[in-house]
Formats: sequence, C-alpha cells, structure tokens
Amino acid sequence: MDAQTTSYELIERFRSGDQEAFAVLYERYRARLTVLIHYRMGEALSQRYEVSDLLQEVFLRASTDLQRFEYQAPGSFFRWLARIAGHVIVDAARHEDRAKRDGGVAVRFRSESNPGGHEPVDSLTPSRVLREGEDVARLLSRLDALPEDYRTVILLSKFEGLATAAVAERMGRTREQVALLLHRALKRYRELT
Amino acid sequence: MSTNDSLIGRAIADWVDRRAAGEHPALDEYCAQYPDIAAELRPQLEAFESMSGRVTADLPAAASRIPDQLSGYRVVKELGSGGMGSVYLAMDDKLGRPVAIKMLAARHQANERLRERFLQEARALAKLSHPNIVRIYGLGPDHEPPHFVMEYVEGRPFTDAVAKLSLMERMRLLLPVVRAVEFLHRRSFVHRDLKPANILVDQTFETKVVDFGLALEVENESEGRLTRSGEALGTPWYMSPEQVRGEHVDARTDVFSLGVVLYEMLTGSPPFRERDWQAQVRSVCEVEPALPRRLNREVPGALQDICLQALEKDANRRYATAAELARDLERFLAGEPVLAAPSSYAVRAAAQIRAHQEEIERWQADHVVLPLEYERLKHAYAKLSEREDSWILEARSLSLPQVALYFGGWMLLAGALLVSLLQRSGWNGPAAAVLVWVAAAVPLALGVRYWRERRLRIAIGFLLSFCLMLPFAWLFTLPAFPQREQWEPLLRWKDFRRVWDLRLITNAQLWWALLLSMPAYFGLRRFTRAPVFSLLMAVSMALLSIVTLLRLGMLEWLSEDTGRVFLNLLPAAFVFFASGFALERSGKSSDAGYFYPVGVGFTLLGLSGLAGFHDPYAQWLKETFPFTRGQVEYLFLINAGIYLVLQELCDRFGTDLLKRVGRAFRFVLPGHVLGSLLFLGMSASVQQKWQAEARLFEVLLPLVAAGFVFVSIPKQMKNFFAMGLLFFAIGVIRLANDWLSNQAAWPLVLVVCGTGLMLLAANYARVFLKFRRGK
Repeated sequence: MDAQTTSYELIERFRSGDQEAFAVLYERYRARLTVLIHYRMGEALSQRYEVSDLLQEVFLRASTDLQRFEYQAPGSFFRWLARIAGHVIVDAARHEDRAKRDGGVAVRFRSESNPGGHEPVDSLTPSRVLREGEDVARLLSRLDALPEDYRTVILLSKFEGLATAAVAERMGRTREQVALLLHRALKRYRELT
Repeated sequence: MSTNDSLIGRAIADWVDRRAAGEHPALDEYCAQYPDIAAELRPQLEAFESMSGRVTADLPAAASRIPDQLSGYRVVKELGSGGMGSVYLAMDDKLGRPVAIKMLAARHQANERLRERFLQEARALAKLSHPNIVRIYGLGPDHEPPHFVMEYVEGRPFTDAVAKLSLMERMRLLLPVVRAVEFLHRRSFVHRDLKPANILVDQTFETKVVDFGLALEVENESEGRLTRSGEALGTPWYMSPEQVRGEHVDARTDVFSLGVVLYEMLTGSPPFRERDWQAQVRSVCEVEPALPRRLNREVPGALQDICLQALEKDANRRYATAAELARDLERFLAGEPVLAAPSSYAVRAAAQIRAHQEEIERWQADHVVLPLEYERLKHAYAKLSEREDSWILEARSLSLPQVALYFGGWMLLAGALLVSLLQRSGWNGPAAAVLVWVAAAVPLALGVRYWRERRLRIAIGFLLSFCLMLPFAWLFTLPAFPQREQWEPLLRWKDFRRVWDLRLITNAQLWWALLLSMPAYFGLRRFTRAPVFSLLMAVSMALLSIVTLLRLGMLEWLSEDTGRVFLNLLPAAFVFFASGFALERSGKSSDAGYFYPVGVGFTLLGLSGLAGFHDPYAQWLKETFPFTRGQVEYLFLINAGIYLVLQELCDRFGTDLLKRVGRAFRFVLPGHVLGSLLFLGMSASVQQKWQAEARLFEVLLPLVAAGFVFVSIPKQMKNFFAMGLLFFAIGVIRLANDWLSNQAAWPLVLVVCGTGLMLLAANYARVFLKFRRGK
C-alpha cells in the first residue's frame, strides 16, 4: 500500500468491502489521533483510560459510520475522525461519571496494558496497530516538554489540521503572531531530543 | 524579532495552510522559493512534517546514493534531481558516447503503481521518434532500480540560448518546438512541464524537448484533482490555471505553457512570476498578463495576439491544440494575418471603457465637454465596446491572401453576372442553373468550413460572395413568366438589347429572386452575427422596393406621370424607418444603422421628386394658395417644413441613431429654404408685373440667411452657418446688382455694419451688461 493512495480511495475501497483499506486508514491517522486524544482527554479521564482504548473506540465507530461519511475535500476525513474522537471522549467522561455514581469501575477494552478487558467488537483492526508506537510515545514526551502555547499552536496546526487563520482565531491572536509562534515552537521542538 | 524570523514564520504559515487544504507541496521546490531563508526554513518544515511519525519516510532526507552503474552504463554524475527522480550523466563505454539516465526516486520505488506507470510511460515514449524530442534508448532491467536511458542533449535552456537572436529568428526556432509538442499530443501525451529548462538548444541551434510526460501524476478521478505523487510541482511560473488549481489537464495545458515561454521570449520574463505559491495561483488564475507590447515595443501586434491567445485563462478559449498554435505562428512568419483573437483586449477594454464612459458622463455633467462632443465620444466608445465585430474591421485591412480572396470573389461574381445576363453565353436552361448554383455553393461550403475553424475573416469573405451569387442562382432557377402580360420586362429597350444581347428577365423573376435570397441573408446574419449581412438585407430590400415599383408599372409612370414614381417611394421609405426603429429598439443598433440611411435617401428622393414632377401636388398648391401660382420652389419650402417636423420628431424619439437621422434632415434644410427663396426671387424678377414680389424675395434672402447663421448656434449645425454665409453673400450681391444698383452707399453700409458687429462681438459681455442695466 503506498503513501500516495488518497484517503478518498481508501474509504471507497473499504465501502466496497476491502477490509485491508481500513487498516491502512488506521495506520495513516493513528499517530495524529493519538496525540489529539492524549491532549483532549484531561487529567481525570487519562487515569482510567488509555489513549489506545479511546483510539480503538474512535476507529470502531468510524468503521460502522463510514457509510454515512461524505467526502468533501482533502482533510475532511481527518476532521471527521477528530469529531468522532470528541464524541468518544465526551461519552467516556459521561461513562466515567456514571461509573463513579454506580460505584463500579470503568470497563476497558482489552489491550496489552489491560489483558482482562473485554474483546473489542472491531475485528478489522490488525493487532499491530494496537501497539503504541515508540515514535508516538516519543512524540508525546517531546510535545509535553513544550511550553503551553507552543504546544497548542502545534496541536492545532499539525494535529487538528487547521489552517493558520483558524488557529489564529482559536488562540485569539493574529495570523502574523501565530506564524511567528509556530516558527519558535518548531525551533524549540527540534531542540528537544 | 528579526525580519528573517517573520519571513520564516510566514513561509511556515503558508506551508501549514497548504497542508490544511489537503495539498502535498514538495519540500525542495517550496524551499527553493525562499532562497534567502531556505537553510533555516527547511529543517523547520521537516520537523513539522515528521511529527506524525509517518511522513518521515517520504522526505527526500534519505537521499539515495548515486549508483555506480545502470543498464551497464558507467554513471558519471548527477545532472539534476527533482521530487520524482534523478537524472544522471552516464558513459556508454562501448560506443563512447554520453547518455542520460532518468531514475525513479528511491522513495517511490516501492510504490508498485507509480513504478509501473513510470515504466509504462517510458516504454510508450521509447516508441516516439521525432527530431525535436529527446530519444529514449532503453529501459533498465528488472533487477535494477527503475530507470531508462536516453539521449544526452548538451544544450542550453531555450530562453538563454535565444537571447541574442532577433525576434523573427526566435519564432523560427520556437516553431519546431511547438510542432514537437503537437507530435506528443497526437500520440496522447501531455508534457505537463514545459518550460525553458525543458527545451534545450544545442550548438547547431537544434531544439529538443526533454523531460516530457514524466511528471507522473496519480490521477484521482473521483476527487477530480490531480495529486502529484508527493512530487515537486515544477516551477509554477509556467503552469496553467487548471494545473495550479489541480484540475484535469490536457493538451491545452501545454499550449498555455508554450504561451508562457513565448511571452518570455517576447518580453524577457514570464507573465506571472510571484515569490510564493498562493500569489502565483492568484496571478495565473485571475490577473491578465501585461501586454507584451507594453514591455517591448518591438513585439509585432500579431505576435502579441498569438501569445495572449495561448495564455487565455479559460482553456476553451485557448488554441485547442499545439497544431493550431503552430499554424498561427507559421501564418505570422509568412506575413499572413493571424487568427488569434484573444479575449484579453476586450476584457481590458471593457473594464476601461466603463470607467471612461463614466468619466465622460462626468465631463458632460461638469461641462468639460460640449453636448455635441459628448455625443461623439459616447458614440465612439459604443463602437469600441462592440468588440465582437472588430474582426470585420480587420478583414478590411488588405493583405495578399485577403486581396486574392476578394479578387477571386469579384471574378466569380462578374462571371456569374455575364453568364446570367448574356443570351449568347450558350448557357441556358437547367445546365446554366446548375452551373450557377454550383458556383454559389462552393463559396458557401468554404465559408462555413472556415467559420467552423474560427477563421472568421476569410469565412465572411466566402459567405459574402455566396450571398451575392444567390440572387443570380434564383434568377436562373425561376421560370421567366413570359406569358403573364401584366409584368413588364425590365429591360425592354430594344437598342440596348441589340448591342448586348441580354437575356429576357422579367420583373417578377427579379422580384422573386431578391425575395428568395433574403432568408439566406437573415440566416447568415444570425449564424455569424456579422452586421455586414444586415447591410446586404438593407440593400436587397431597397432593390426589392424598386422592383416592386417596376412591377406596379413604374416604367409607364416614368413616361406618363413621373411624380407617381416618387410618391410611391415614400411608403418604402416608411418601411425602412420602421424596420430601422424596430431593430434599434431590439438592441441591434449596428443593423439599424444600415436601414435608416436607405429610409432617409428614399424620403429625400421621394419628396424632392414629388415637388419637382408630381403635377397633382402643384395643382393642389395652386388651388389652395393662388398667390403661389403652383411654383415648384414653394413646394420645396413645404418639403423643408416637412423636414423640420421630421427632424423634430427624430429628436423627440431620442434613440441615438434617430438623432443622427434628424441631423441628416436638418442638414438639407437651409439649402432647401435659401435655394427656394433665391429661385423665387429670380423667377419673379424676370416678369415686369411681379417686381414687388421680386423685391420682397431679394430682401428676404439675405435676412433669412443671416437668421440661419445665428440659428446654427443651439444645435451646432455648421451647415446652417456655412449656407447662411453663402446665401447672405449671394443675396447681398443680388441686391447690389438689381434693386440697389445705383446706391453707392450700400456697400459702405455693409462695411460699417460688419465692423460694428465685430466690435460688438469683441465687447459682447460689457455691452450686454450695460444693456441689462439700462433696462
């Protein structure tokens, strides 16, 4: 499978029954979504869930909802995934609350870190994608080491896939400022090893 | 904060925006756009791209090592590399000649589809053999990295090489390039990356197109865009609008790129040359290129036309193929008029014209220009905005093929005329009819064909000759109606026919021939939208009116009651005015412009003839106003009154063309009035008993003439002024000769009056004010 195959093609192939295509999609967006979920989860949730669980859930939902997804432009698929990730996190937080109320524990999917969890319904996903890649772990640690606004600007522009104008709006700054911030953030990021 | 930092920041931000839009710009090319900051920019962007943990593999950071040997050739050095792959110089040690080897970049080698495309394309190209296209010698074996071996061209980029040549020499050099691209197109290749660097010129000034079809693009049809395989977008300066927008590209994209190369040859730089991608996209897609002649006065207009035609933003307006471009270039080199009619001028002019028109409106409002000047300017601009017909104007400029075409048409017509009119030509009956129809059909077929090929000017020439032939063809086809007595033969003058032996043609035949030709004129007017066919219609209608009169018995009237002929012209004139008005109202001013003059002509002719020859008219005048004794001059005065009413009516209706018709009527007014007065005086003075009347007219003439001189002011009618002066002089002389012949003081009175008037004029304001105060 080559890097040039567009997401659109893969989606179409999956829709017409090519299971392998979904694996490629997963592989393609795993790292970005991992980072995204990691930073959106918040303190409380991250104590109960692992990023990979939620990631798993995101792709599970994506695989069932994919029929309804409408491709509009490059990048729209990732934004769609990001939206699902948002829902998954919110749902997880709700579940967390309810679990607290019920005095029970959150049921986690089975994963390497949680061998007792219940089997994910998803059988499409090759097991290899469950492995938290070393590169992602290193990426997260480097991002963690960045000052808050440096991290934010990178998260928005790289991992949310926003254009700088949108980043500027979210951060309440001008595009010029965002450009400069991004420049400095990348510089700092490179200095971290 | 250094300026460098903000520059880099901006470049990073632009990169982020393009990535957010789903683009995959090539790192190398992108950095190359910012040569000053590239060193700092590149690692920043690499860091940005590497963050997802996946893209790292795509970056050319892991540049492949130069292989020692490929296809058995000794690789000497790398000549260049792009996103897609690298080109190496290699030595064929057996033949002792250098070769160039293009190899797919290492990072694409694992991509099965791309690899297959690359090899397929190379295989197909290897079949091509063209002197101006680089030759492919062979394909690399399977066990080696994908590559192919091609001819090594030791040449310089096109624009550098031609720098010292004259414009004509450059064009002669460009032509084979265009032909070579056409050759590619005919074999369904699109080069996609034509630029001076890919058009090499060797020492003997042979051109070679290189690097074609290798800008492999992975076509994603469902997405409707071409995603370049992570590859370098070539330098964007030579890319077409559809290319920078990532839309479907075809042969016309190459035409655009050739247009850019041509533009650069004419002016020294490409038309759209921006520093960053977004500005480039905006320029290519939205901005009209600066006119080459603005940048280099030596560029011939025809070449500018060709260049702009190739650079049309809308691919449909461009030359459809490189072949068309080549043919137009050939026409230019041969000194023939070119076919290019770029929309650029109209776009440019339209925008300017609106602004100018508004400016003129303001001038009029601010009294910068006189109303008359305002109208003229407005008219001139209206003409300018009818760009649609501009090629008609150009068709009137003479060139050798143009002259040959018209001359041929003329000869054809003369032949047809002789065949149809002369009895003794031997061509009679169906044979003659067939001959003339064939002679008419040939220009029609050619005209339609050229029209389809968008060779409009020539097409119009052919269609016009068809139109002129058409009545003759009908004339032959129609039976001569000899039995029907009531239709008078037009040409019954026996003597005339004895000399010329003319064929007998009846009025009915002529009438039907003209009428049956009209639908064709109308059809061609709609087909070509050229007003010249309206002219034909107007002329045919005028002829038809006259033939109608002939059928009604004009020849009898001419011998018995001439005035009746002219009386019957007036309804025809009305028909022309009505058609003209209807046309103008429906927005077809250029057509109406042909109908009004005929109407004016018929009116003037009819009324003048009526006054001069129609006895009942004179009779009526004599009975109603006995003092006039039915003199023809009074009738002309009445005519002048009618013209006065008509011109007033025309001004009331107020359409632009009717105003001009009004001016035509006004134009004949002073001549009519003053001439009549003059002749009335002259005819009265010869009769002893009408001396008093003679005196009256002698005095009246200079007075009315003086009146006309001043009446010229409100509507700026210069002919009132000139006629007034002329007839004043005549009147004064007549007075001095006749009535005041023994009054020596008379000339003195004139001198004093003249001087007084001039002094008055010089001090007009002061006198005027004093007069007012006195009141």
